[in-house]
Amino acid sequence: MLSLESASLEGTPQLAPLSDHIHPGQLLAIVGPNGAGKSTLLGLLSGFRQPDHGRVCLEGQELALWSVAALAARRALVAQQERPAFAWPLRDLVALGAHCSDDGIGRTLQELELDTLATRSVLSLSGGELQRVMIARALCQLKGPQPGPRYLLLDEPTSALDIGQQQNLMRLLRRQTRCSNLAVICVLHDLNLASRFADRVWLMDRGCRIDAGSPADVLRAERLAPIYRAELDDITWDDEGSSLLAIRR
Amino acid sequence: MTTTPVTRHAPPSDRTAWPLKPLYWLGLSLVLVLIWAACSGPLGLSWQMLQSPGNTGSWQVWWQLRVPRLALGLGVGMLLAGTGTAMQGLFRNPLADPTLLGMASGAGCAVALWIVLLDGTHSVLGLYGQFIAGFVGAFAVGLFVFSLGSARQGSAALFTLLLAGLAINTLAAAGGGLLAFLANDQQLRQLSLWGMGSLANALWPAVIGLWLAAPIALALLLRSRRDLDLLQLGDLTAHAAGLDIPRLRRRVILACALGVGVSVALAGIIGFIGLLIPHCLRLWLGPGHRLLMPASMLGGALLLLLADSLARSLATPAEIPVGLLTSLIGGPYFLWLLLRESPRC
Repeated sequence: MLSLESASLEGTPQLAPLSDHIHPGQLLAIVGPNGAGKSTLLGLLSGFRQPDHGRVCLEGQELALWSVAALAARRALVAQQERPAFAWPLRDLVALGAHCSDDGIGRTLQELELDTLATRSVLSLSGGELQRVMIARALCQLKGPQPGPRYLLLDEPTSALDIGQQQNLMRLLRRQTRCSNLAVICVLHDLNLASRFADRVWLMDRGCRIDAGSPADVLRAERLAPIYRAELDDITWDDEGSSLLAIRR
Repeated sequence: MTTTPVTRHAPPSDRTAWPLKPLYWLGLSLVLVLIWAACSGPLGLSWQMLQSPGNTGSWQVWWQLRVPRLALGLGVGMLLAGTGTAMQGLFRNPLADPTLLGMASGAGCAVALWIVLLDGTHSVLGLYGQFIAGFVGAFAVGLFVFSLGSARQGSAALFTLLLAGLAINTLAAAGGGLLAFLANDQQLRQLSLWGMGSLANALWPAVIGLWLAAPIALALLLRSRRDLDLLQLGDLTAHAAGLDIPRLRRRVILACALGVGVSVALAGIIGFIGLLIPHCLRLWLGPGHRLLMPASMLGGALLLLLADSLARSLATPAEIPVGLLTSLIGGPYFLWLLLRESPRC
């Protein structure tokens, strides 16, 4: 279990005290407007930043007390896109920090439809392809033989993907949470993706988590409109009451 | 609760056989160049000449001049190319190099300061003082430039680094000029001979000093290979992948300061080897530091020994400073690199 215990950050960027738990088997979406503190929160959950007050714990032990190697076997992160400076072959980049066999890497590349590009240089890839490469690398990092739940942190993983790839990725992540003792925590800007695939949603605004719950509870037009300062409509489209959000013209 | 000990599983490519062939070729070429360089020069030497009992002069030339010079070239070449590779990996930037970033001129300025103000070159202690001055100068510049570069991202970092390097190189040149103005005739001669970058100062005590420091710097750089690979993922991702970034930075800057410091203290500023060699080898071997780092060390020694042999032979009996020669090769290469990289900047 990954838990925040009154964890907060002072100064810039600021984060108000937050307490909650993230369990394996869950796909958690963190949503909110630009500058709400979503990536900062992800930095805190990954252990890259230490909270000024409170604690962030993995399995009851503060992240700062874990060795970097032990932590790397349990949680991985895909930060917002940064293109490597040198011409790494795609497969070699995916193998960086991987804890699985060559076969494991091959399977992950296949799942993300990257196997045909394996020998290409990462400098020649499109933004969307590179994004999938970095996600594949993070998944391979978590495939070690050590027991225990895994945590995958993703910062806007679908920002450069076409809708087909968005669907493929989100289905893969959801499948992995169901069968691999994995929790996925991802910052998403696409509220409809969050609505369709997330088990829980945290809504952030100006450094505070202002709401948490199921997508149906949190992602409602009247709730989100003042936070995003946008005019939105809910479109209910099936008998179960599932809804999508639409931007008004 | 206690942390479960983690078995570090080597990445798959670690388990497969190393593609060692390039290292064999580079090593073999280096041995051949060493043999050739030991025999060539203004006074051609052969095995028969060294063997003949009455020919002590040839033996002395070989043992007192050639061998220490080759040992110096080997060490300085390995250190310059190794530190260049490490800096490019650390800054995630193909244009980083101890000369361009001002580390070498920082070391040079500190050494000149030692020669002129502390007059420390007359004893063995003076020679080691020169080493320490070089190390301190390179370390101070390394820390300064790194703190500037790491505070910015992408193209901003590149420009900041190059501008900082330019400023430090200009400052160091001004400092060097001032020191030359203050120096007496003897010191001035020493400064100008040393400043051009040459392996001619190779005497055994200096070479032994270099080879006491070089293994430490080279070992630190070789130990950083896997970590430099992980760093290419970006700070945030690399940390999450198990990299202790502050420890890597400390290790690389310390190794670079030690390597550049002793190289500059002994051989002056020999430019562009740290830029040229990793770049060319990366085109051949790919960007992974596991292979690139040792290959760069071998390649750096190879290039410097070749350039030094040319420097000794081209204008016989005079000698061209080898730093001049490497700059003549490296300068145009760097300009080509800038032109090629500019659309991405």
